[in-house]
Formats: sequence, C-alpha cells, structure tokens
Amino acid sequence: MTQTAAIVGGGHTRWGDRQATWKDLAQEAGKAAFDDVPGVTPDDVEGLFVGAVQPERFAFQSHVAPLVAELLGVDVDSMIARTELACASGQAALRYAWLAIAAGQLDVALVIGVEKMNLPDDRTEEMQSSMTNVVDREFDGVNGLNAPSYFSLIAQRHMHEYGTTREQLAAVSEKNKTHAANNSYAQFQKAVDVDDVLESYPIAPPLNLLDCSGITDGAAALLLVSERKARELTDTAAYVTGSGQSCMASNSINNLPSLSAWPQATVAAEKAYEQAGIENPVDELDVAEIHDCFSISEIIEYEDLGWVEKGEGGRFIEEGRSALDGDIAVNPRGGLLGCGHPLGATGISQALEIYRQFTGDVPDARRVPDSPETGLIHNLSGSASVHSVMTLARDPQ
Amino acid sequence: MTDDTTPSRDTVAVPERIDFPRLLDFYNLQSEEETRIHEFYDRLREDSLSTTRCDECDALHFPPRIVCPECTGDDLSYTSLPHEGTLFAFSVVRGSAPIGMTDDVPFVMGIVDLEGVDVRLSARIDGAAYDDLSIGDRVTLKIVDIDGPRDEDRVFYRFEPVRSVSE
Ligand SMILES: [Zn+2]
Repeated sequence: MTQTAAIVGGGHTRWGDRQATWKDLAQEAGKAAFDDVPGVTPDDVEGLFVGAVQPERFAFQSHVAPLVAELLGVDVDSMIARTELACASGQAALRYAWLAIAAGQLDVALVIGVEKMNLPDDRTEEMQSSMTNVVDREFDGVNGLNAPSYFSLIAQRHMHEYGTTREQLAAVSEKNKTHAANNSYAQFQKAVDVDDVLESYPIAPPLNLLDCSGITDGAAALLLVSERKARELTDTAAYVTGSGQSCMASNSINNLPSLSAWPQATVAAEKAYEQAGIENPVDELDVAEIHDCFSISEIIEYEDLGWVEKGEGGRFIEEGRSALDGDIAVNPRGGLLGCGHPLGATGISQALEIYRQFTGDVPDARRVPDSPETGLIHNLSGSASVHSVMTLARDPQ
Repeated sequence: MTDDTTPSRDTVAVPERIDFPRLLDFYNLQSEEETRIHEFYDRLREDSLSTTRCDECDALHFPPRIVCPECTGDDLSYTSLPHEGTLFAFSVVRGSAPIGMTDDVPFVMGIVDLEGVDVRLSARIDGAAYDDLSIGDRVTLKIVDIDGPRDEDRVFYRFEPVRSVSE
C-alpha cells in the first residue's frame, strides 16, 4: 500500500424501532458525522460509499447511493457505490473506501450504512423473508433456514462437538447487553444476567430470545480520509492497518467447510494481521468489535480469529478474557446483541466505536482501560460463508 | 399572509391488496420453461432425489448445477442420491418464519447427512417434535406436493424419522 486511510470522526443515529424513514436515518447519521468533524464539509467529500442490504425490500427503494449524495449535499467527483454483502455490507463499504484512498483515487470519503428493517403494520413475515433471502433461497431458505434457526444449528453442533454450555452462550449476552446499557444509541439499553438469558423465550433451541440480536432501524456514518489529510485534521485518528476477507467457494449448507468452525474467519484475520504486523493478536489487540449476531457467534469468533484453541471459546468468555478489562475488550459498544443490527450500518458503527475508544470519547462504564491503541472489527455474512476483518491503530508504525 | 384560494381536492384509490410476486412463496419454479435444472425436479416428481455429477472431473455437486464449479465443464449428468441419512443438526422454527411458512410453526428443520455419499443438505423434518429427536437419528426421504396458486405441479423434498419395522 502506498498510503493508508484513517477514520477522523463519524456519527450515529439512535438505533431501534424508529419512527423514521430510510432517508431520515441517512440524513441523521450524515449530519452527525459532519458535525463531529468540523474540518470536513460535504463539499470536501470526493467518494461516497453506502452500505445497505435490502432497501428494495425494506424501504422499496434502490439506487440509494445517489439518494444519499443528494440528501447530504455531497458532490461526488471520484467514486460512488452502494455495497451489499448482507450483514457485512458496512464493512464492505469501508473496505472499498479504504482501497480507493490507498489507490490514490481520492482523499476524503463519506462511508455510511443505513437500514430500515421494521416495516409498517407489523409485517414481520415480510422482514423474515428478506432475512431468509440471504442464504441460498432455492435449497436452504425454502426449508425455513434463516438467521435464528441457522445459528441454532451452529450452536447445537458447537455444544455437541466441544461441550460448550448454555451458560457460556448466555455469558456473552450478559457481557454485551450490559455494555449496551451504557450506550445511548443502542436498541437494548437494559443490562441482563445469565439467568435472564436462560429464562428468556426459546426462539430456536438452544438459542433463546436474549441470545439473539434485534430487528433494527438505524444508520451510522464515518469520514475516512487519506493519511496525509488525517495528519492535517487531527492528532487522534483510527488508521486502517489491515483488511482481509474470505469466502471458500461455498454458500449453501452442503458446501460450507463446517458448521461449528469458520476457517474463512481465520483466513481473513491472518491476512489482516499480516498487513498490520500483528503476530500475537491476544497480546497486541486492545479492543475488538466482532459479529455477535447470536451469542454462539462470538464464541466461535474467539477461536477462529486465532485468540484461543478451537473448542475453547466458551472458556474465553467464562474466564473473563473478553471483558472490558480482559485480554481483549470485546464489544464494548454492546455488540449486535445490545445495539441491534441494522444490517448495512453495523460494520460502520463497529469501526466508529474503535475510533471513539481511541479518542476516549465513550462513557466511563464501557471505556476500555489503559488508552487502547489497537483494534479490530469483524463481520460474518449470510450463512457465515463470508468473513471480513479489519484492523485499526491509533498510531500506525 | 393567508391563502386566498382553497386548493382543489380529490380522492385517488389504490388497490385494497397488492399481490406479492408469485416467487415469494419460496418454492422455485421448476419446469423446463423456467429453470435449466428442471431434471432435478422432474426426477423428484418421480420419487427420486438426485443431483448432478460432472462427466469430465467426476465431481458430485449439491445443489445441482449447469456448470461444474470444480472444472467449469458443462457436461453434467443426473445421478440418484440415497434416500436415507442421519440427522446432523436440527432446530425448530417458531417466531421467525418467513412468508408462506407462518401457518406451519412450530416446525422442525435440520441438516441431513445422506448415507454413503458426501452430501449434507438442509431440510424440513416432518413427523417428529423437536424434543423427540437426537443428533444421529436415522431419517428417510419424503416428497411433498406443493399446492399453490401457480399452474404447475411443484414438489419438494423433506425428511422424516425412519419408523421401526414393528410399527
Ligand atoms: Zn467438473
């Protein structure tokens, strides 16, 4: 890479069941981002990257990137794109922007993720259909394989193969939802404990309601700029140090490498670690925002991001190693479990959280101790067939 | 300042109900007019679960293909798959069913390892409640006819537990 890119600020809408349209949410997040970075105005933006998964189904609108350009007054003269990679669409947008900056095509990008998932008249089954469409519809979706049911199969296999317990799953929810209780934009701002999780409604056994993320309206936006521009603007930024993705020619059930292991996460992480010069992630990473769409996901990610031996993910949470003061502070934002998961916005929100942890601009109750300097974001998408990992640093070498 | 004229006013009707596209029922269209893997469905209609095998590199695919993902060859032949297998994983769909399945809840779905062949597929599991099942249970193929608005005989596969002989 000839140059890297850095997050110099961003903004967030309140997440939840919002009385607002897709366009309202985009405007709220965009304004919040420009308000956060006084040195950058819409006139300075050369590239616009919009993460959005199903505006066609949730908001009956496509070609959404120019819609955002108009709403926020962004006069794009270099690159404009919407990214769709299911639950990783936000990180995909960030990755495109980083590559465009690294390639020298532009210096200032607005990266925004927007999703409006709660439909009028409580049309839950329409929303669930849209979620079911992210797996192979003809051979998997048709069998009722959507997010809760699919991840319940994963949880069942991980418990069967490695002895992972319901209590260990619940401990992930307790940790992340407790962080979210101190996050003013989170959908679920209520702390829960392990017993609450175990006693909640069985959505798809072995997963209960509180093992699951939400159906969320929300947006988040970032300003990503070239390293040169970042040095002009600020002393504290989140520099992109590495980025990796993996999809192993597989998407449907028969062709995935495993249900209980995600070697794609390992490949993506190793790529990012190598670019970032990270040799021992547990020692070198201070904070991580990883994709806890369901409690089981975070446990598998501890393992397959290379932080603990395969099968030991349950112990990683149990021993407090992912707590705020643990080896790696995992999901201090509150995760998808606590913040909700407006699909295209999640990766953007995760990256913004890493930036805010670097600047220290987070409430004490969920601030990572000892001034974190290195961070990671991770997203899986669809049937966990794709994994995306990005590393960030406050002071890149 | 006040308006000095009242704007004209009219009522515009929109349909009471707008039908979703037919494909939203989740079962693909299966005829030769609609899909190049219609032979999979034709054979299923004749009670046989099958898939494609590559004539060039011998790779066995599932789902069936028109191009071999191993060698990009397109000389593929249909071959029968076993109708029995074991339950690799299973769960139950309660509140999160998509359009067309909300009347079915709760229903069991799972992943079946077909016997003696390297194919593992997702499927609805009929004839058993979640609490009655265990990983490794033997299951057998079941065909369902799809009764819907489309003027086409559609079918799909499910599995059900193997019953004991004495039953
Ligand atoms: Zn072949």
